[in-house]
Amino acid sequence: MSSDPTPETPETTEDGSLLQKPVDRRGALGLLLGGVATGVAAASACSPLSAATPEERELKRLEWEEFTQKHYRRMTEAERAETIARLERLAKLRHNEEATIATTDAQPGVLFGYAFNISKCKGYRRCVEACINENNLDRRSDTQYIRIFEMENGVVDLSDADPTYQHEVPAEGHFYLGTQCFQCADPPCVPVCPVGATWQEPDGIVVVDYNWCVGCRACMAACPYWARRFNWDEPEVPAEEVNPNQHYLGNRDRHKGCVEKCTFCIHRTRQGRLPACVEACPTGARVFGNLLDPNSEIRWILAHKPVFRLKEELATEPRFWYFAD
Amino acid sequence: MKSIRVSAAACLAIAFLASGCERRHVRWYELPPGTIEVPVDSATAARNAIREPGVLGTVETIPVVGWAGPDGQPFEVARRSAALEGGHARVFGTITLPVSLRAGAADLSQYPCTACHQGRKLVMEDQRIKDAHQNIHVVHPKQTGAHCATCHSADDVQQLALRSGEHSTLDESYRLCAQCHFEKVEAWAAGAHGKRLDGWQGRRVVMACPDCHDPHAPGLQPRVPFRAPQLERTKGLHP
Amino acid sequence: MHLRAFLISALRSVTTGERRYHLWMGTLTTIMLVGAYAYYTQVTQGFGVTGMNNHVSWGLYISNMAFLVGLAAAAVILVMPAYVLHDVDFSRAVLIAEGVAVSALVMCLAFVTANSPGLPFKWWRLTPVIGLLNWPSSMLAWDVIMLNGYLVFNLAIPLYILYNHFIGREPSKQSYVPFIYISVVWAVSIHLVTAFLFAGNPARPFWNSALLGPRFLASAFTAGPAFMILLLGFIQSQTRYPIPDVAIDKLATTTTVAAQVNLVMLLSELVTEFYTPTHHSDSARYLFFGLGEHHALVPWIRTGVALNILATTILMIHPLRHNRRWLMPACAILFIGIWVEKGIGLVIPGFIPSPLGEIVEYTPTWVELCLTAGIWALGLFVLTILVRVALPIELGEARSPHLTEREAAPIVRPRATRPKYPEIRPVRTR
Repeated sequence: MSSDPTPETPETTEDGSLLQKPVDRRGALGLLLGGVATGVAAASACSPLSAATPEERELKRLEWEEFTQKHYRRMTEAERAETIARLERLAKLRHNEEATIATTDAQPGVLFGYAFNISKCKGYRRCVEACINENNLDRRSDTQYIRIFEMENGVVDLSDADPTYQHEVPAEGHFYLGTQCFQCADPPCVPVCPVGATWQEPDGIVVVDYNWCVGCRACMAACPYWARRFNWDEPEVPAEEVNPNQHYLGNRDRHKGCVEKCTFCIHRTRQGRLPACVEACPTGARVFGNLLDPNSEIRWILAHKPVFRLKEELATEPRFWYFAD
Repeated sequence: MKSIRVSAAACLAIAFLASGCERRHVRWYELPPGTIEVPVDSATAARNAIREPGVLGTVETIPVVGWAGPDGQPFEVARRSAALEGGHARVFGTITLPVSLRAGAADLSQYPCTACHQGRKLVMEDQRIKDAHQNIHVVHPKQTGAHCATCHSADDVQQLALRSGEHSTLDESYRLCAQCHFEKVEAWAAGAHGKRLDGWQGRRVVMACPDCHDPHAPGLQPRVPFRAPQLERTKGLHP
Repeated sequence: MHLRAFLISALRSVTTGERRYHLWMGTLTTIMLVGAYAYYTQVTQGFGVTGMNNHVSWGLYISNMAFLVGLAAAAVILVMPAYVLHDVDFSRAVLIAEGVAVSALVMCLAFVTANSPGLPFKWWRLTPVIGLLNWPSSMLAWDVIMLNGYLVFNLAIPLYILYNHFIGREPSKQSYVPFIYISVVWAVSIHLVTAFLFAGNPARPFWNSALLGPRFLASAFTAGPAFMILLLGFIQSQTRYPIPDVAIDKLATTTTVAAQVNLVMLLSELVTEFYTPTHHSDSARYLFFGLGEHHALVPWIRTGVALNILATTILMIHPLRHNRRWLMPACAILFIGIWVEKGIGLVIPGFIPSPLGEIVEYTPTWVELCLTAGIWALGLFVLTILVRVALPIELGEARSPHLTEREAAPIVRPRATRPKYPEIRPVRTR
């Protein structure tokens, strides 16, 4: 290579550039390995492999089981029970929480529908408050599943509406319209998930298996109604405000890195109760029921009131109708 | 005489305190595990409705007369609340929200109408008359030239007077309201108006008209809403 | 035996070099370490340390991934003529192109991993049997298959060819040419699938257009060859590896045509969005003109488009395109312009305004910027390694020490004959 016979590492090559000085292969490898060795030593010095209390060891074991757990839909009854026991135990260890997590399946012959009366909504946001508390939503980022828009009379256009109003309501010349997950019959968020972590249950609720979700957020890009939220940080709920009555697919403890959304209070509605937003509304603007029951209130509204849905042209078939008195 | 009055007062005091103690009732999620894990039937829903109406002990209901629900089945309306707060409240997670829109009316059992009104006679002392009902400012109904006796039966002020000459109890106020607000009451019976107290399934219990609308001034007062969402800081609210 | 020699030879190629080579690799390593720290911060503290939020849920990572998939796909510009059309001029450059494709794919996969908190440890959930791969419904599932498959093709085929050259053998065309055909179709597909990932969302009218897929391909075939020109020019001037000038000229022509097509598509999009603006054009209006007081992206996109127009104009002028002193800067400008237009100017405006009309803008934080820089450094690192391994073998300098005298003789590759097409006027080169 070099025409210089004697020096092992000549200062310059034929071109004379300092940068083109050849470096010995052994030297380079030695530096590389030395760096790696130092790094490994530093890393192992920091890792807490040695000192661990029984609780910490149990926590590590449960976290490993949580990591390797199956998709909820593939679990047998025994595996589900085991998963619930583990999650309840984890809630206790992590947050000192006494949670009861249900795995109630959908009732047969039930398909949930929701109606929202835009004449009655006065923008109190009681529904938002109840939802935050009922579903253990993250207080640090003020996650809210429900949005109430203050709209001017005469225009049903969300881009001109104001969701950040903070004045006495109702304001003159305005009406109020609330959005949340509409549990669409043809949800665009379900097919885009690469791991199948979100699906539609037989009673119509679109649910997420928080432990299976990898956090790619393709479903958030696909939802036309901005219904989904992501846990950017570890969610925080003050211990005295935690709702211990939980469902695996609903308001149980979530962790950072998974997507969540309104589930029509699955832990309530599968027991025959109303979602928190419906119950909390002081004006009775929200109506909830079983679409498959021809004698339900929701069916009466659909038959007798002029109803509309948002973004009907997207053919998502939301199960959430708006009507006026 | 004096001893009867004292013992009557003592009984009333004890009854009031006892009803207050009764307020701590079992939340349904505090029931032993497995109790809820059954398909909800009407009995269970009914039991739940009674168990957790909010801060009140129990909601008593009476069947609705003359109107049927959307399924053609009878439904029930909540009786006027006995609690001082008035109205009804619901528990969500750990917060309790009142859902009524008006201030509660004083309970009739505290001070019965018959103490002053006996039939068509007033037995109250004249100088107290101007104190009576001074908290009631009637703005409704205003177009029809109505007065107290339009709605309240002159013969028995604890009852409401219907146009047909019939009386209805104060708990059946919907019969009176329906005389003018027919469509609203029809919607109320069908579920498009008003609030349902229990769940979506099973026995249907709804709130009565005066639970939300003060019959003398039924308009809703403006309120300050719950906090607005922070759009620019959708995460990481710094402490 | 030969394999061990191959690996040792590769290692030697990578670890020996001039000081400027080690300085380059050292700089890249430093940037990668900074990126690793940023990644560590993101993993431990959560994605709250990034600038993404519930409204703009994809940011710098997916922007770069969309751009880099195009870069990877553009290797087909060289692969197709070299292997399928037997174009002699590209035969020297095609291995380099495959190296670019590999490094671009590594960067893509790295950006996808950076974007998902569940990856890389939960990667097994994306596999069919032990996990649940939602194929064929999910475009991301398609993307996972396509990207990894293309990576395998672009690693296996060049390694096969290089290994055979290393041991003094001519690689058997029957072994790899069928895969070349597949990879040509695959290359176009990976970028179309990535485009469909965006275009298949009716919730986002800015993306939900039939033009998005073709526009992706056009910009890929602009930026890819532009980068190849820069790289090949560098190799031509700094190493002994002979790249024929005509290869660079042909690439320049390809880039120019693709850049023109890209500008036509941009014009089409502008007219469609702004001739009769509707609420569906709000995202485009935000991008090009701003909405109310929200106009963070306007300077970026205007600069990007201006750079594209400038570079395309330069390239359209024949004397300038054939002049290296104009060609190289033009390609660099074009590369940056396409990155702005396709990276920032595609993903972010799709989220603004939100489907409910709310506007929340996006500003990347240091974590995102450092991790992006680290991943780009990783890509360049990988590219440098691949080129460093390939060049000595192709030059005939690296040969297995276990070869006999006859096997070690330099391979005289028969000059590929041009296919028997009717007489075509040869391309004028200078």
